[in-house]
Amino acid sequence: MSGYLTGVLVVLAFNVIAAYAVYLPMAAGQLNLGIAGFMAIGAYGAAFLTNEYGWSMLAAVPVASAAAGLVGLVIGFPVLRTHGIYLALATFALGQVIAAVFLNLEVVGGAAGYTLSAYAGPYVVFAAAIGVVLVMLYLSRTRFALYLTAVKSDPTVADLMGISVRGVQVAAFALGAMVAGFGGAFYALHYNFVEAQHFNVLLSVFTVLYVLFGGAQTVWGPLAGAMFFTLAPEALRFGEQWRYAIFALFIILFMAIRPQGLITTSLFQGFRRRSNEASP
Amino acid sequence: MSSQATSTGGAAPEAAPVALAVTGISKSFAGVHAIRNLSFVARKGEATALIGPNGAGKTTVFNLVSGVYGVDAGAVTVNGVDVTHMPSRRRIGCGIARSFQNVRLMDHLSVLENLLVGQHIRAASLTDLLTPYRLFPNHRWRQEARQALADNGLERYANETVSGLPYGVRKRVDLVRATLAGASILLLDEPAAGLNPSETNDLRDHLNLLVAQGLTLVIVEHDMHFIDSICSNVVVLNFGEKIAEGPLSVVRQDPEVRRAYIGDGEN
Amino acid sequence: MLTQQIINGLMLGAIYMLVAVAFTLAIGVLNFLNFSLPGLFMVGGMATYGFIRIGWPWFFAIGGALFLAALVSLLVERLAYRRGEGAEADVPLVSSLGFLVLLENLMLVQYGSDQQAFPALLPDMNLRVGGLVIGIAQIISLAISVILVAWLSWFLKRTNAGRRIRTVAENRETAQLLGVNIRRLVPQLFVASALLAAVGGVLFAVNYQQVSPWMGEGPGFKGVAAMIIGGMGSIWGSVIGGLLIGFAEVLSITFIGADVVNITVYGLLLLILIVRPQGLLGKPPAREKL
Repeated sequence: MSGYLTGVLVVLAFNVIAAYAVYLPMAAGQLNLGIAGFMAIGAYGAAFLTNEYGWSMLAAVPVASAAAGLVGLVIGFPVLRTHGIYLALATFALGQVIAAVFLNLEVVGGAAGYTLSAYAGPYVVFAAAIGVVLVMLYLSRTRFALYLTAVKSDPTVADLMGISVRGVQVAAFALGAMVAGFGGAFYALHYNFVEAQHFNVLLSVFTVLYVLFGGAQTVWGPLAGAMFFTLAPEALRFGEQWRYAIFALFIILFMAIRPQGLITTSLFQGFRRRSNEASP
Repeated sequence: MSSQATSTGGAAPEAAPVALAVTGISKSFAGVHAIRNLSFVARKGEATALIGPNGAGKTTVFNLVSGVYGVDAGAVTVNGVDVTHMPSRRRIGCGIARSFQNVRLMDHLSVLENLLVGQHIRAASLTDLLTPYRLFPNHRWRQEARQALADNGLERYANETVSGLPYGVRKRVDLVRATLAGASILLLDEPAAGLNPSETNDLRDHLNLLVAQGLTLVIVEHDMHFIDSICSNVVVLNFGEKIAEGPLSVVRQDPEVRRAYIGDGEN
Repeated sequence: MLTQQIINGLMLGAIYMLVAVAFTLAIGVLNFLNFSLPGLFMVGGMATYGFIRIGWPWFFAIGGALFLAALVSLLVERLAYRRGEGAEADVPLVSSLGFLVLLENLMLVQYGSDQQAFPALLPDMNLRVGGLVIGIAQIISLAISVILVAWLSWFLKRTNAGRRIRTVAENRETAQLLGVNIRRLVPQLFVASALLAAVGGVLFAVNYQQVSPWMGEGPGFKGVAAMIIGGMGSIWGSVIGGLLIGFAEVLSITFIGADVVNITVYGLLLLILIVRPQGLLGKPPAREKL
């Protein structure tokens, strides 16, 4: 594999992991604009544990992503009292606060950034992304995924059916945070350098865009969205400068034309119906 | 708790035990009395109707019993358990489920998936939550939901997304979902509204079957013929208060009931 | 020293206040969290800079920048708001974020990503009152902000057009029944909120004498925070929120350090959202009917 191709695929792997971190809460109706903050927790966590305590990657990554999940869990309870726009803003504020905290933490280099000595090669990163996709596919076949949609669709009725709406919401939020932390940990380990400025609002926003572009109705949407936005610019070779402008223009036009996203449930239903008719 | 239920209903020796007891409940919204000191019981294996002119507070009673709103005063007892202060989510576990006047199905889910949501209270363990049921076409919960659809002649809609279905079908799916909770008491909010005559007949047979199986029904409905063929007891509400109770043939002679319905087109 | 900081906070707060009012107009009436507004703020500053650079007199340059912002805002209305009406609530919000990214990167392509020096439009004069230093630009921008917001508040309360807008904010259906032409009103509101944001951007550029494609993000997002803290949909709430954020920022810079600003400002926002989501002056949201 050429160095260029490997580099692109590594970026793809990180984008896929991040997209699923946004997708989980979104499936339960939460727009998380602070996902970069949870990535930062994972990244700095893994960096700190491998650097200062000499932990192996195998131990540092789970602990770092669990830490991100734990922060999600603890903060999720009060934050998820809010809904809709308020929740989006609360997560946005949360992301800003987390990044600002790391910016001020001198133990991890503060504004100058933090260099790691442990290294995760490209194949480790690919395996991590594939692992996340497989876990998500598994989850999408369970009742848990069903309840995410139920809670998003009609929380009042879901509650009357006996579903703990709060529990499902907090679980989705915290699991999303954990996945983000997982991706962040590998990000730090692969590039061997973290700086708080990287985990800004735009990182969160772009990730949300992948998911909305791909479609949040099915588990394949985030994968499709992340792949499109990582690979299409490479294939088309826009000038580096124009890349984000064209990306944004594309998003705007796409949202205007197909607001439900690329891959939808009705799309699958269409396939199923056709195949049923073909083989009765 | 259970002593209260028996004391409310233990009058006649041949009467069936009380399944649902509503005792002196009141509720006001922004100072306006929606329900005032309402008491009634629903007996096991019987169907009780809740009727009254529009705005009498019938759906509000369902919302108070199922816990969407808390009561201001009074008590609600389900199968001998006082649920007055129980969170709405837990009440279904005491054996009470409901349908909705405006059909509240989850629009993005298929019919079958809506029924799986309805089974939740019986499939609430962590194992059930994390079993990849969709990988097994014959998983027992799916089988059960399909069977319930087949029993109601709805099997061909199993994989359709709810939002695209006709109103009558959604109305029936809503009812099936309520039955799948395995509850012994069903609150049905206008189950026949919007159904055509043949669908209404099927529904009547189905509900009578449920009653014969020992389920307790509380039905809000406007169609008096429909009520007459199912319900043994009728509670009449007007402006949030009970104005009459008894068999339909008796309450329809009641002067106050006639007065409440004048101009409403009924009777 | 402290008085000086309070005055600086007031100046900064006045700009946040403009942005917050722009946001509150969009959210209070249209229920649309319009994230393109930080971009329009930047367009106000950057386009003025660009027009001056090609030799326009400064008042034409400002006029041109405001016109451009209004034009872009009409596009936002068309593509993000109107198209997203039937879709999920997230779609218009995300689409407006797309506009922010687009505007920033177009400016980046045109002018590069570096800070550019904005020419001094006003004589570099300072008023000295008992040891306090107040720049003339500061005073003028404070005056413009206060006058704009006071006028807007008067307009919404006292004029027929203002009453129409408030009816739409209360209830869309009622407004339509009463004969309010929403199709015409909505673009007007978009233009109004774009102008408020862009004026904020011009004042920011004049005051701090530098512009960049990213200049909208800080004040823009802090404007959102100000709006929430004051209470969504309340103009005076935005005024209070804007000033609070301005003070909080200046005081944390003075007493703790520049790097903690985001912790203070967004921490405050987070706290308000959790404890009192309707903000200081907002009304609690209505409850759902079954």
